[in-house]
Amino acid sequence: MSSRPLHRTVVVTDPIGIHTRVAVAVAEIVHRSRSRVKLWVDPAYRAEGTEVIQILGLAAPSGSQVHLEAVGPDAEAVLDALEPVFADFEKQVPCKNSKG
Amino acid sequence: MKFAEFICPEAIRADLAAVDKEGAIREIVQALQEAGRIQAKEQENIVKAILKREELGSTGIGRGVAVPHTKHSSVDRLIGTVAVSHQGTDFDSLDGESVHLFFLLISPTDRPGDHLRALENISRQLRVDTFCRFLKQAKTPEEIRQLLDEADNHQFGS
Repeated sequence: MSSRPLHRTVVVTDPIGIHTRVAVAVAEIVHRSRSRVKLWVDPAYRAEGTEVIQILGLAAPSGSQVHLEAVGPDAEAVLDALEPVFADFEKQVPCKNSKG
Repeated sequence: MKFAEFICPEAIRADLAAVDKEGAIREIVQALQEAGRIQAKEQENIVKAILKREELGSTGIGRGVAVPHTKHSSVDRLIGTVAVSHQGTDFDSLDGESVHLFFLLISPTDRPGDHLRALENISRQLRVDTFCRFLKQAKTPEEIRQLLDEADNHQFGS
């Protein structure tokens, strides 16, 4: 329950990389959480976890390492929820996005 | 990947008439066909492929921006265009807002990397508020072309 940032590094195994549906899935998970999440491949460009547009700016191909930083009361849980999103998206249950 | 490497200038549209998702996609794909970037016989097939992709989840990614896209075997390199809708288009966007700015992309089936690099450029340029705002306010295709050129030349500080 501390405000200390938690970090995790994940490897993108989706064959396309972080494409639009991956970015949307990340943003939806972060929106539902009570933590602030940032993502980066290169620390010079950090994407806000709620912003699909910024996440697409990572341009992370398959095999790249993405660093996640979460701060907030459910930081551990949100990192746990995010980790599988970067695996092969086609093998996961399709997630139709919703408004809001 | 700079805009000049994938945006077809002749297919840029500054005032879409369509107010719904299918109409907007049809209008933008029509612009690419009129510019000679896709074949007329493939046009309907491409529209259907983009709409099918939208069924998986809207590419209305928030802040008034959408990036409708598909892979298609009839193109041998990434092609795209920009369209502006001043009245706004209902696109079932993530944030519920109407879309005013479209970047439509059609990729070859075997070049996912180019698609990601185009999205990277779009994303990073749109992070610059002035670029995004000026694009949405553009009244003519020529204005949009100039803004894209300026972005390619780092004149927005990205």
